[in-house]
Amino acid sequence: MSPAAPSRTGPRLSWLSTSLAKWSVGILLAIPLMLILNDVRIEFVQPGSGLGPDPGEALVERLGVWSIRMLYLTLLVSSVARVFKLPILVQHRRTVGLWAFSYVVLHLAAYFSALAGFDINTVFADFTKRPYIIVGLLALFLLLPLAVTSTRGWQRRLGLNWKRLHRVVYVAATLALIHLWMQEKASFMDTAIYGTILLLLFVERVVDFSRKIQRRVRKGTP
Amino acid sequence: MLINSKNQIPASEITPESVYLSRRKFIGQSSTAVLVGAAATPAIALPSGWVEEQGYSEGEPIGEKITPEDIATRYNNFYEFGTGKEDPSKKAHVLTTDPWSIEVAGEVAKPGKMQIEDVLKGIDLEERIYRLRCVEAWSMVVPWVGFPVKKVLDKFEPLGSAKYVKFTTLYRPKEMPGIRSIFSSVEFPYVEGLRLDEANHPLAIFAVGMYGKILPNQNGAPFRLVVPWKYGFKSIKSIVKIELTKREPRTTWNRSAPHEYGFYANVNPEVDHPRWSQARERRLPTTIFGGTIATRMFNGYDEVASLYEGMDLKRNY
Repeated sequence: MSPAAPSRTGPRLSWLSTSLAKWSVGILLAIPLMLILNDVRIEFVQPGSGLGPDPGEALVERLGVWSIRMLYLTLLVSSVARVFKLPILVQHRRTVGLWAFSYVVLHLAAYFSALAGFDINTVFADFTKRPYIIVGLLALFLLLPLAVTSTRGWQRRLGLNWKRLHRVVYVAATLALIHLWMQEKASFMDTAIYGTILLLLFVERVVDFSRKIQRRVRKGTP
Repeated sequence: MLINSKNQIPASEITPESVYLSRRKFIGQSSTAVLVGAAATPAIALPSGWVEEQGYSEGEPIGEKITPEDIATRYNNFYEFGTGKEDPSKKAHVLTTDPWSIEVAGEVAKPGKMQIEDVLKGIDLEERIYRLRCVEAWSMVVPWVGFPVKKVLDKFEPLGSAKYVKFTTLYRPKEMPGIRSIFSSVEFPYVEGLRLDEANHPLAIFAVGMYGKILPNQNGAPFRLVVPWKYGFKSIKSIVKIELTKREPRTTWNRSAPHEYGFYANVNPEVDHPRWSQARERRLPTTIFGGTIATRMFNGYDEVASLYEGMDLKRNY
């Protein structure tokens, strides 16, 4: 986290604009969920019209797709902030990350209710026998501590370890891609698209890291 | 269900009078058309309204709700037109089904290529209300219009050496965007197969219609297979070639993922797909928390069990 840039308009107005921006980002990221929930509502009023003939499957899939999008968007925030030298963007990363986690939790909740029908035997069989579900669950469990420690208080408490802990997001992002890839049947288009995005996000980080090393080396030699 | 063709009521006795009369009118009109000079254009393979004009014996209800036509024609797997469920209904309208010829080859006494109208000549249409169980764990109930596979095969006189039947779907990249996709892991043309005794079973039919009309393109027009006791992917669409072979043909899904899709692909609640359970199915349209129903062995068509006597169906999935 970089400290907020000193503002010419005074601290009060800057605080207002910051919280306004945060709220706007939060609401923006809730739009896909609102659209999905609206389709669920239509589905209840007129079955088959909101989410199609297989609504449970459609609901789980749509929440899953938005989970991976939000997760990668979280990673994109840091990249864009670095590449375009806009450190101010980083203050929104927590909002994006928490929304990503929320979509993941809702994705799992939709699976429990709409696909598994709260049937404990089905859930147990899936959680033990189906590799793609196990991989997806693993990603969720890795994201859980990140969501919990996303507050400022935890950031202060963990210090340098906070950054180390939150690198786990790269493992979760990779598992999410594997989770998607394992479900592909006949077309690898989605895996190719999200795989390319993740690859670019990784490349940007490697480039950034090597630049930092170079800078350090240059500083070190007189 | 009409299974024994010997006990069957002739179609003329069942066809409602109005349809019967309109059929005569149709014949009259078409002969006039020929006189007027329309003969220069090729015969329309299966004009819309052909099934109604032809008439068919009505299918026996199975005591389960028929899937609304709108869903059965809008929710399809036909990967030649894309992998999305709605891709076929959006993109298949460009498919040219006229003229349509079917080539019969291999272990038959009379191989050859025939126009579809010649293949259908002299064959009475019957409606069959069948459950359709997709390997993806959803299912429908569809009223097909067709006739037993055997009736067509017999026309070409299979030889004693014929053990299997290989079916091939049309391969026409210009009209099939799914074939052109660079991300596809499935090889085209689509190939499916049956053992000859399976194909000759009275439950196995070729369909030319559904819901009392000719097949929409997205459902495999103009000529497709329907094998109700097997997962849906065995019921190959838009067939252009039928080959009788000595050896088991290599089928599309089996080649793509042999551990997931076997040659037999009989509906079997006890043999899971490696990625999901096959014990239950979602009968479409389902409500959002509508739950599932139990999947039945051979999709409830126990009469086919004798075809697999002595076979380990866990291994021959």
